[in-house]
Amino acid sequence: MVRALLAVIFFAGALAALAWLPTQFGAYGVGLLLGMTGYVTLASAWALFSGPTRYVSLATVAFFGIGAYTVAVLSETLPYPLILLVAAAVGLCVALVVGLATLRLAGVYFVIFTFGLAELIRQLVTWYEVNITGTLGRYIFLPISGEQIYWQLLALAAVTIGLGWWIGRSRIGLALKVIGDDEVVAAHVGINIARVKLALFAVSATIITLVGAIQAPRWTYVEPSIVFNPTISFLTLIMALLGGANRLWGPLLGAVPLFLLFEWLSANFPNHYSIILGLLFIAIVFVMPQGVLAMVERGWSRVGQRGRKAEPAGTEAAQ
Amino acid sequence: MTALIEITGLRKQFGGLTAVDDVSFVVAEGEIVALLGPNGSGKTTVLNMISGALAPTSGAIRLAGEEIAGLGPHRIAHKGVARTFQLVRILPSLTVGENVMAALAFRHPPVWGGAAEARVETLLEEIGLGGRGAERADNLTYIDQKRMELARALAAEPRLLLLDEWLSGLNPTELQVGIELILSLRRSGMTVLLVEHIMEAVRALCSRAVVMNAGRTIADGPTEAVLADADVIRAYLGEDHA
Ligand SMILES: Nc1ncnc2c1ncn2[C@@H]1O[C@H](COP(=O)(O)OP(=O)(O)O)[C@@H](O)[C@H]1O
Ligand SMILES: [Mg+2]
Repeated sequence: MVRALLAVIFFAGALAALAWLPTQFGAYGVGLLLGMTGYVTLASAWALFSGPTRYVSLATVAFFGIGAYTVAVLSETLPYPLILLVAAAVGLCVALVVGLATLRLAGVYFVIFTFGLAELIRQLVTWYEVNITGTLGRYIFLPISGEQIYWQLLALAAVTIGLGWWIGRSRIGLALKVIGDDEVVAAHVGINIARVKLALFAVSATIITLVGAIQAPRWTYVEPSIVFNPTISFLTLIMALLGGANRLWGPLLGAVPLFLLFEWLSANFPNHYSIILGLLFIAIVFVMPQGVLAMVERGWSRVGQRGRKAEPAGTEAAQ
Repeated sequence: MTALIEITGLRKQFGGLTAVDDVSFVVAEGEIVALLGPNGSGKTTVLNMISGALAPTSGAIRLAGEEIAGLGPHRIAHKGVARTFQLVRILPSLTVGENVMAALAFRHPPVWGGAAEARVETLLEEIGLGGRGAERADNLTYIDQKRMELARALAAEPRLLLLDEWLSGLNPTELQVGIELILSLRRSGMTVLLVEHIMEAVRALCSRAVVMNAGRTIADGPTEAVLADADVIRAYLGEDHA
């Protein structure tokens, strides 16, 4: 009980400190914080679904872009909180339809489908804007400052990680562990596997949609190639994988250093950025498929074992 | 006695192979019935169709009068059918307690939280794994894994329990304990359909036996009479004999 209370106080304090940070930075620093928090949220939301189910989704940018575009379309007709609500609802509906259609696909088919989905939505939006609206881009004039965007993203990140924590302790968390171990057993103890996966996909996609919606006012001008840029999907994926998609803090620990690295790379090597991104992607998937956290833990337990073995050499033989 | 499970004209085809061919039998409420037959005769496939792991090619399966053939396993589980598997299926990364908890948390209505933890402990006690809920399931010995799997099936408080060679692989002492356990289930009023090769256990437990050979039922009746049947003896002593 005391420990739980201390944990709550600690996280409330940390969150307050993070919320206070923008007052110490200039516009550039706020932009950096904002982008980083955006990716922490994206990676955490991605891992919410893809971590336990091991379905690798490349649809991140499809939902991110839907969120941003909803804001662009509605920015002059609805009050801001209502726009966010509509964006979340649109993301949720698309997620439910896509989930129903694709969650029976396994492995690489799911990866390809989700990648295709993002491209399809981008093409659809482009076609609509060019042929029906008559212009490709849209302007977003919302009186929302960088700090305000950062605070919203910070709140969303906290909610996402809190949700991950709660799921780990709930029935749905147990269902995910059982499904991860053996789907046949899962179904035979009464778990509706399809529904659990769909629910998780929908929650994850809705959060991702909100990230896109919240970040949209930052751009002022949006067009499909900006908000549906597939790099966003790949970045999210390797951030979550680097930290470890099956751990509560894994995506955050992957997102922070990688975001800073990519910022630095794109500033200093703008021409080689994509190549470096690709190489890093391959390295992470092949070298540390379980993530850095798992690797550190394994390293730790190995060090621990060596320590233990070195001490009482005689006891084991005696048993 | 009223029929709990009523199977009529059940068939399952795997491509060109007819694994189960026009099988019909009834299990009454409170009965323990043996499903016998040489290896490959289709017993596991019948259990798979009852539990929903496989959809029948044709035929009917009625549970207390309600058609369940072709429903998904989670829906059939919610209607009161639980099972163990021929090749024991544990949840290796979970603890022993969580393995049992899984069945409590997703039955209808679910048991969760403190009540579930208490129930898990009682079930483990009953099955001979008392106080071992915190161990990892994949550290258990084979017999203890089988125990845990049965505890998981019992946690669902099923109306119908399907056991697929649950007693095989046990040493003589463990076998006696296992038989006692199943007898105590019968006393509690549970209905059991079990596939078994150990005739000693079948004689001790089952009032009735259904025998399959090459997908078809070749005998159905009181255990002693069925085991003395000429067709049954031929089927068991033929090339398929396991
Ligand atoms: N999923 C499956 N796919 C194809 N053939 C199967 C499958 N399951 C069982 N069979 C075949 O069906 C027949 C009956 O198998 P099974 O029901 O396991 O027999 P038993 O349990 O009586 O030993 C066997 O010939 C087996 O090879
Ligand atoms: Mg079998």
